[in-house]
Amino acid sequence: MEFWTGGTGLARMRAMPSSLADGYDTFVDEAVTAEKLGFAAYGAPEHHFMYDGFIPFPLEALAAAAAATSKIRLVTGAMLLPLYDPLDAAEAAATLDVISGGRVKLGLGMGYRPMEFDGLGTAKKTRGTRLVEAIEVLRRATAEDTFDFEGKHYNYDGASLSPTPVQRPIEIWFCGGTSERAARRAGEAGVPYWLANSPYEATEAIVEEYRRAGREAGWPDERLRVAAFKDVFIGNQIAEAESLRQVMLDVFYEEHILGYGYLVDDDGQHVYNPPKDHPMYRRFVDSLFCGTAEMVVEELKRYEALGVEAVFLPSPQRQLIAEKIMPEFN
Amino acid sequence: MRVGLSWDFDAAASGVSSFGLALGEAATAARLGYDSAWVRESRMGPASCPHPTLLLTALSRKDATVQLRSIREVVRANPVRLAEEIAVLDQFSRGRAGLVLASAGRQGRPPGQVHETADFVRSAWVEDEFRYRGNHVRFPAHTGDDAPSGTSTPEARGSAGGYAPQWEWGPAMPDYLTITPKPHNPRPPVYAEIDDDETLEWAATSGVSPFIAADVPTDEAVDRLVRYRKVADSAGRSRVEVEVVLERAIVAEADPGDDSALGGDATGIVATVRDLHAETGLGHLVWQRRGPGDGDLFRFAVDVYPLLQG
Repeated sequence: MEFWTGGTGLARMRAMPSSLADGYDTFVDEAVTAEKLGFAAYGAPEHHFMYDGFIPFPLEALAAAAAATSKIRLVTGAMLLPLYDPLDAAEAAATLDVISGGRVKLGLGMGYRPMEFDGLGTAKKTRGTRLVEAIEVLRRATAEDTFDFEGKHYNYDGASLSPTPVQRPIEIWFCGGTSERAARRAGEAGVPYWLANSPYEATEAIVEEYRRAGREAGWPDERLRVAAFKDVFIGNQIAEAESLRQVMLDVFYEEHILGYGYLVDDDGQHVYNPPKDHPMYRRFVDSLFCGTAEMVVEELKRYEALGVEAVFLPSPQRQLIAEKIMPEFN
Repeated sequence: MRVGLSWDFDAAASGVSSFGLALGEAATAARLGYDSAWVRESRMGPASCPHPTLLLTALSRKDATVQLRSIREVVRANPVRLAEEIAVLDQFSRGRAGLVLASAGRQGRPPGQVHETADFVRSAWVEDEFRYRGNHVRFPAHTGDDAPSGTSTPEARGSAGGYAPQWEWGPAMPDYLTITPKPHNPRPPVYAEIDDDETLEWAATSGVSPFIAADVPTDEAVDRLVRYRKVADSAGRSRVEVEVVLERAIVAEADPGDDSALGGDATGIVATVRDLHAETGLGHLVWQRRGPGDGDLFRFAVDVYPLLQG
């Protein structure tokens, strides 16, 4: 199993006031640390129009990380692809791939915050089909010298990509949130699937649905790869780990998960600012795993047994993860 | 007089080698006291650089001194993303970013689109909640024809407010949005290539700095910059608010071979640049590198650069 991580500093959390420029320095410093600790990949996310200055262009943050590192892979998690022209996104990815000597991975999501679609001029209701089409454009643009593409949203005739990326193609992951619907989309498209924080039982169901859809669409098993975004909080006792989780909920997740429509109910409708005992929010909180190092190893072994080949651990406890968790794998 | 470097990636065969070369040269130039690095958006070959801001952001982590200038087109760029990218570069570099808008003619676009993009981006960097209605730019997308032309901001609501933080907006799409992050420097410099009369007039009257690219013959560059200065003076603009930039290839110790490059020995190059300064107000000479090992950065820094300063 590969271990991926992400840094802090790409936004000014309101509970933790700081300078954005200092935060950006921290993000680069943490990339260097993650590389030294043996993480396989380092990630940056994307959001727009946020009061906290959230990074809007993950490839740019990763360009800064690329300049300070030499081995660690650089992964977007997630880059909100329907908010880009896909060929422009491919050019940006190829540019970073060249700058970094071939270290880019693309985690591509569809986005969910209404103001982002309105601000950048994309109809939100088209995001699912746009994502699937745009992923195919990126794959072909980074793999082929010239390509044609005819879709509902995007059309290219004899298009080619410059610069030529080092990797042909650049590795792509479909960041699919926590729904079986998204898993079906990714499976039908035959794109490796990177699911968001989910309790183990839900993960098992989502992975099963993804593989079923992929096989039905005729994709070989080796193409149906799975990664998981997984928050873990490690303490000497569970209570200590839970207190660390509570800090993260207080300073970040409570606002970002409850406030902007991240949660989706059983009817597929976005839920805005539900009470904290809303079942979808409880499910999210439960997905943030708390335990001792041994318990975290045991939990991640379950994911590995499901065929999850990489976990993205955004935890600031990177040192502990490198020392106590990673040696138990591979 | 400031002196910087730029690179022509369209002529290069390999992005890996040419990007690496540029990053290395820029770091060397910074140590030698050069002032700036300029990268043009390009898509003409296997080593082109369609996203110069990414290269400049990488450079910002290798050096802490040079100014970083991204030469961008408006054809493909979403103006919101353009404002965001430069702001992020400015934060990573702690205030060293700047934007050059490529000429409308090179892009096959109307000059008004370039002007509007510059206007929008400058608003994005300083305004909090705002909207924009132009012929080419609408922000947010649902902004209607009833909105005032250009930038507009919400009316004061008094202490009663009606304000709600954005995490309480729910699915609503507000009429005004704030583009973030803001740049480290509240107003990063903006330049425009002034190779059409409309853009020359607009830049001169709007406080936008003029940029002349390396392929424009020097005589024509002088003519345009003199006209720019006259228009700006007539409009009452202060000369200190803008920076006149001229990009040239430099052929040391030889005839330049074309009418858009500078050449000759150090004394000749110094004399030419000083004359250009006297005629046009030139404040920033950008040396366009034409390939690996093009010219000696050290010799220029020793023989030419000091003589441009006084």
